[in-house]
Amino acid sequence: MSSNCLRIAVVCSSNQNRSMEAHNFLAKKGFRVKSFGSGNHVKLPGQAADKPNIYDFNVSYDEIYTQNGLLHMLDRNRRIKEAPERFQDYHEKFDVIITCEERVYDQVVEDLELRKERTTTEDCVHILNLDIQDNQDEATIGAFIICDLVAMLAESDDLDNDIDEIVHEIEQKCQRMFLHTVVFY
Amino acid sequence: MEDDLMALYPDGEQDSQALYDKIVELINEASSLHSGDERCANLNMVHDLLVNRCPQYLDNFFDEFVAFQTDNYILVKKGVLNFLEAACDKDLEMLPKVINHLTLLLEDEVNDVRKKVMLVLPSVYSNCLRWILSARSISTEMENTWQFLNQMQRKIIDELDSVNDGIRTHAVKFTEGLSIVLSEKTEDSILTSRTANYTTLDSIPNNHSFLKWTKLEDEGKQALDSLLGFLALSHISSVNLMTCIASLTNIARQRPQFMDRVVKAFEALHVNLPPTLAKSQVSSVRKDLKIQLLSLLRHPCSIDYHTQITTLLSGLGATQTEIVKNQPKVDERRGKR
Repeated sequence: MSSNCLRIAVVCSSNQNRSMEAHNFLAKKGFRVKSFGSGNHVKLPGQAADKPNIYDFNVSYDEIYTQNGLLHMLDRNRRIKEAPERFQDYHEKFDVIITCEERVYDQVVEDLELRKERTTTEDCVHILNLDIQDNQDEATIGAFIICDLVAMLAESDDLDNDIDEIVHEIEQKCQRMFLHTVVFY
Repeated sequence: MEDDLMALYPDGEQDSQALYDKIVELINEASSLHSGDERCANLNMVHDLLVNRCPQYLDNFFDEFVAFQTDNYILVKKGVLNFLEAACDKDLEMLPKVINHLTLLLEDEVNDVRKKVMLVLPSVYSNCLRWILSARSISTEMENTWQFLNQMQRKIIDELDSVNDGIRTHAVKFTEGLSIVLSEKTEDSILTSRTANYTTLDSIPNNHSFLKWTKLEDEGKQALDSLLGFLALSHISSVNLMTCIASLTNIARQRPQFMDRVVKAFEALHVNLPPTLAKSQVSSVRKDLKIQLLSLLRHPCSIDYHTQITTLLSGLGATQTEIVKNQPKVDERRGKR
């Protein structure tokens, strides 16, 4: 399948940071990509999962919005699309879905398992997970890896036959582990 | 797409001639469109018009639509295969033509096309049974169509040994469909929207002059045996293993009479995962097995196997809360006792 034909989705929890960083990279390289969140709400990332954005009064607005990357995120995101989208509410099909944390992978697989109960046409989708911490730096590193992976997948003439080897190769290259499954839906 | 069509025909202007003209226009336009996605969009509208709104024109436009099977854009080719599946579902008389095209497409040089044929074929197979069962007498055309279909069936089953991993994956999905068509529904079968309307083994009378019940039942059993054998292969790839796990779960949910064999196969697999899997693949397979076992646990007919299933689930890291949450409600279980 040629690169312009491969339909890719990148999914994180809120469609704010990790999936949008990857969306940005992939779109710039000309891939056919959409991005989503799989959570129930849109949450903005802090420095870490247990460190929300809390500031003392009198800290300047400039510092608040630039230091935690919110201004960068806003600039990037609104150039790509108007609003975050929820994966479970989107019903077109993809060839490859890449998730950015295991919980999101579980939610995507669960959703597709439900969809397959009511599908009228059946197609195969590969779901891959790369764990990425929800902060700006890790999102950028994650986006690089996802870009590498997608470039290799897009080069394949026979994705279903080659994907195992490609995932193994990228795991070796970046020393990170992927989860990978297929669902017919 | 629905909105697009409504926009084309507001206020009850959907008269037959206007729809006919629109189909002509959309097909002609599709032939000249440069973008594959735009051709897909046009053909999707034609598909909807022919299948859902004016099936009386299916025969008229069948050849024009199917001519797009030579398109170089894979999604257009897949669209043609979706159309072939839907066309014979709508009008059984389309089956001879559909089977002819599917026979050719199963030999297509593009693997994605051959794989898509394998996905649409169980539904076409079921419709072929319906067609034969509805006939007063068996015509030569029917015999030939059935023969072509059987040849395709044998070819695809052979592809379980293909050197191509993706072809094997799709052969597994076909074999799942065949096993469901060629076995009997029970009152506890949990069907999907695809299989709910399938004509299956239970619709065939024992004394049918053409369709031999026992032979077809045997073929269905062989299909299940093939999948159980496939699951136990020591060199199976992780993707094929996970597809096979999901297929066997689908069979057990839709044909609970096979629950016993499927649960036993999963028990054997759990203690003996293929040694060729990489560490991350083992994690993926274990996660998949857990999801499918939870799905079996939710089935009312799995009550007799709850001990085995919950032991497996605990071994795969499922929490007690997850297990309890996925067990059928008490009164539901009593009802099935």
